[in-house]
Amino acid sequence: MTTRLVGAPLTRREDARVLRGETRYVDDIAIPGVAHAAFVRSPHASALIRSISVPQPAQADGLLAVITGRDLDGLRPFPVMEPNGARVAEGEAHPVLPLDDVRYAGQPVAAVIARTRALAEDAAELVEVEYEARDPVLSPRASDLALMSWSRRTGDVDVAFAAAAHVVSGRYALPRLVAAPMESRGAVAEYDAGEDALTMWCSAQDIHRSRAQLSHILGRDEASIHLIIPDVGGAFGSKGVIAPEVAAIAVAAIRLGIPVKWTEDRLENLVGAYQGRGIEGDVELALSADGRMLALRARLWADLGGYLLTTTPVPPHTAATLITGVYDIPVADVEVIGARTHKVPTGPYRGAGRPDAAYMIERLVDQAARELELDRIELRRRNLIRRFPHRTPTGLEYDSGDYEHCLDLALELAGRDEPSRTRPADTARGTGIGMYVERAGGAFESARIELHAGGRFVIDSSSSPHGQGHDITFAQIAADRLQTEPGMIELRFGDSASSPGGVGTFGSRSVAQAGSAVALAADAMVGEGAGLAAHLLGVDVGAVALTAGGFVGSPEGGSEALSWPELAEAASDPARTPPARDPGPLEAVARFESANVFSSGAHAADVDIDRETGQLTIRRLVAVDDAGTLINPLLVHGQVIGGVVQALGECLVEEAVYDEDGQMRSGSFLDYSLLTAAEIPPIITGEVETPTPLNPLGAKGAGEGGAVGALPAVANAVADALGGRHVEPPYTADKLWRALHEPVSGTRSEPMSRR
Amino acid sequence: MKPAPFAYRPAPSVAGALDVLATEDAVALAGGQSLIPLLNFRLARPEVLVDLNPLTELDHLEISQGSLRIGALTRQATLQRSPAVAAGWPLLTEAVSHVGHAAIRNRGTVGGSVAHADPAAELPVALAALDARFHLRSGSGERTLSASELFRGPMTTALETGELLVEIEVPPAAPGVRMAFLEHARTHGDFAVAGAAVVVVPGERAAIALLGAAPVPVRASAAERAFLEGADGAEVARLAGADVGDRYRRALLTTLTRRALERVLA
Repeated sequence: MTTRLVGAPLTRREDARVLRGETRYVDDIAIPGVAHAAFVRSPHASALIRSISVPQPAQADGLLAVITGRDLDGLRPFPVMEPNGARVAEGEAHPVLPLDDVRYAGQPVAAVIARTRALAEDAAELVEVEYEARDPVLSPRASDLALMSWSRRTGDVDVAFAAAAHVVSGRYALPRLVAAPMESRGAVAEYDAGEDALTMWCSAQDIHRSRAQLSHILGRDEASIHLIIPDVGGAFGSKGVIAPEVAAIAVAAIRLGIPVKWTEDRLENLVGAYQGRGIEGDVELALSADGRMLALRARLWADLGGYLLTTTPVPPHTAATLITGVYDIPVADVEVIGARTHKVPTGPYRGAGRPDAAYMIERLVDQAARELELDRIELRRRNLIRRFPHRTPTGLEYDSGDYEHCLDLALELAGRDEPSRTRPADTARGTGIGMYVERAGGAFESARIELHAGGRFVIDSSSSPHGQGHDITFAQIAADRLQTEPGMIELRFGDSASSPGGVGTFGSRSVAQAGSAVALAADAMVGEGAGLAAHLLGVDVGAVALTAGGFVGSPEGGSEALSWPELAEAASDPARTPPARDPGPLEAVARFESANVFSSGAHAADVDIDRETGQLTIRRLVAVDDAGTLINPLLVHGQVIGGVVQALGECLVEEAVYDEDGQMRSGSFLDYSLLTAAEIPPIITGEVETPTPLNPLGAKGAGEGGAVGALPAVANAVADALGGRHVEPPYTADKLWRALHEPVSGTRSEPMSRR
Repeated sequence: MKPAPFAYRPAPSVAGALDVLATEDAVALAGGQSLIPLLNFRLARPEVLVDLNPLTELDHLEISQGSLRIGALTRQATLQRSPAVAAGWPLLTEAVSHVGHAAIRNRGTVGGSVAHADPAAELPVALAALDARFHLRSGSGERTLSASELFRGPMTTALETGELLVEIEVPPAAPGVRMAFLEHARTHGDFAVAGAAVVVVPGERAAIALLGAAPVPVRASAAERAFLEGADGAEVARLAGADVGDRYRRALLTTLTRRALERVLA
């Protein structure tokens, strides 16, 4: 097979439609007579619900119904995942609407259904909820309830620490962040009582998980839920679990017998959508006199919020299992406690535990280099994993990689065209390297392919896009294998009525899993085509080969070629298709499953801090990522840039701030700051392609690496500029100014308490 | 984020708008860049919204007898793009470029920014440094206030019920005047954390107005006097920040003032 298209930087076919505003998001779904939902939300971070008094429809203009927790008998709370080896608390799953208590400010308490959204908001003001406020728990270390926990101890860690020449420790924390997709969440629900069929349009990452969650919550067969995902304006992890509000409008549509829409507004998105990060930890590294890493201890606390949503346990588990990073550390003792706090739940947000791990281990390695007076690059080189597959002491198996190549390339790019060496007066300058490995891929996806008239292929993929560019990427994969052009291939996504089975779009897995399924389906189609061609050519199937001009028989069989259009015609012609086959389009289905694949990378940052104002300027960022074989380098580049920009936001300004009462103080974009194009430095990217042996494409994942590597690179550069002093992100000007001008208060590096 | 119900009245005339503002629970809508979010958050719940946008007589930008006369409804973008403003009062051109983003400035008005009196807004501080006069009109007549008389507190001005800001008058720029506006914000287009507006004629005149030193624009009068008495930039800047309690904010204001002075004196 020649690969003319895999590796080609083709543009997305939906770009023109997106740029012209011709996309159709969930709020654009117009159904006559649709009612609108608004939600009464808890003003308290923690409170008992004493009573709820709701207005009757006649009491408010346009009011149709108010639904509270008492109206939801028979509904179940959210299903909750149990990551491998983790303990997950029972009875702590997020309810659709609460019965007795509320556990975060902004939690939906009652759904108000009215003729318009504005009327629903008016009527919501008439709902009277009597609360008995309680003191909220806001710090995960202060919480006495673990919603999830995971630990693993491999080897004799204590002996390794006792024998070590050096022990270096650090305490690290990342604040909670909001995903802030341009399109907030939302859904439309329509119920056909005659068919007992629920149709939902939902702004979601994928149909499979959303439908499974709805099915679990509503106690309704998946087959009776038709889920459609229209165009989606970004998710970044935040649309992998449906909103409780979405389940509530499904109930409303079923009970009222009219379609109901909920479009999350920005205020709701900031206070009610699950957040990312929110993790802190104490990490200790034992090293030999010559800088070999001998053992690692880590105790992490994740601030999980008031309840478990479906994927809430996943990011802390991912952070804990990746905590040894790209280093060959033989033994480790790692524990993570996902604590209940009175805040909105957390869940996956671009990186989903990966940046957390990279941040902690990479800061610790820099700290070790400083304490051991070793060059920080040399210390890394001495400890990089070089042989694959590599089993980590936390139980992961890294399939492949070339970490030193990533490091070398990052250093080479960083050394080339250095940004201006002229340092303005009163500037503290720093450089930093951040390396990472990320868990990508894993589990299964599938694809179905059909050959239509004229040689056109239609592929139903189980995966669905929300900006990544699945369409052209998958078309490239299939076109190479089918020896055709991408223009002959149409991809279809996001409709449970036509989708083959799969899991979803998350965790940098779409190309590795769903792309591989497309590849296998295309291969199977080639097999189907060869079979038909052999029949038509009157030769043995083994003698048939696919060329750019079509299927040809072996040289002895003549040089006649049968093109895909000819095969499409023959397949539906009873006179020409083999007797054993029903006439009709050629089709093939494939399912692909594999273990996780591990992407990696090395990022480098140059920063300046204005000593007088504390302002951090990221002068340049170098991002070298190894996502295995690249199908479409242009889209991978876009993924890296997008991820880096989100990491830079995390470094510079982003933080969900809560006050002592548990009220989110950054509940609008006036307070929750996002970067603008003006803050984005030059970003130089480099690619290393170490194919994974675990799938037919050799592809890993590129969706999150940018967000993973840039954070530790900038963090190390900031610490370098501060002479080694550690400050947690976001690196706001006041924080850095104080770090430069105020003495260190207290001791930061405390010995870790052992239990 | 839908506003509570309100009645919408396009203003038929300034007098008509003043009448509604005087007799009903009404607020005036200009560019809406702050008011509409406040309505959508239901933090403002007026019964009546008087839309000033039809009042083209308030949308003017002209030089009259050397003074710059800015109609209250003048869009921030108009101020930013005016060659006459850039030539005579470049401080305004510079300050307004920090107000939000282009789309906000296309709609947002100069008068709205003044009347809203956000302590983090740039235009009130720049206008304070330029000794601007604020013309207010009500059913009973007109009055004119200085910046120190107008700005009373965060989001609070001396505007009374039934009174409307109709025009801002910026006195003629003195020959040889130099001006600079510097600010510190988290990101481009964000509200400023601190800022300094400096207008000087060396040896003759000094105006230093600070953003972020207090909930209203303040003139650093001790610093201004020191400048006229010949103190160097660092000392003038030190005096400008001297009354600010928070160490970081003080450092920021001192630095911004010093850098603004360095720029005008360069």
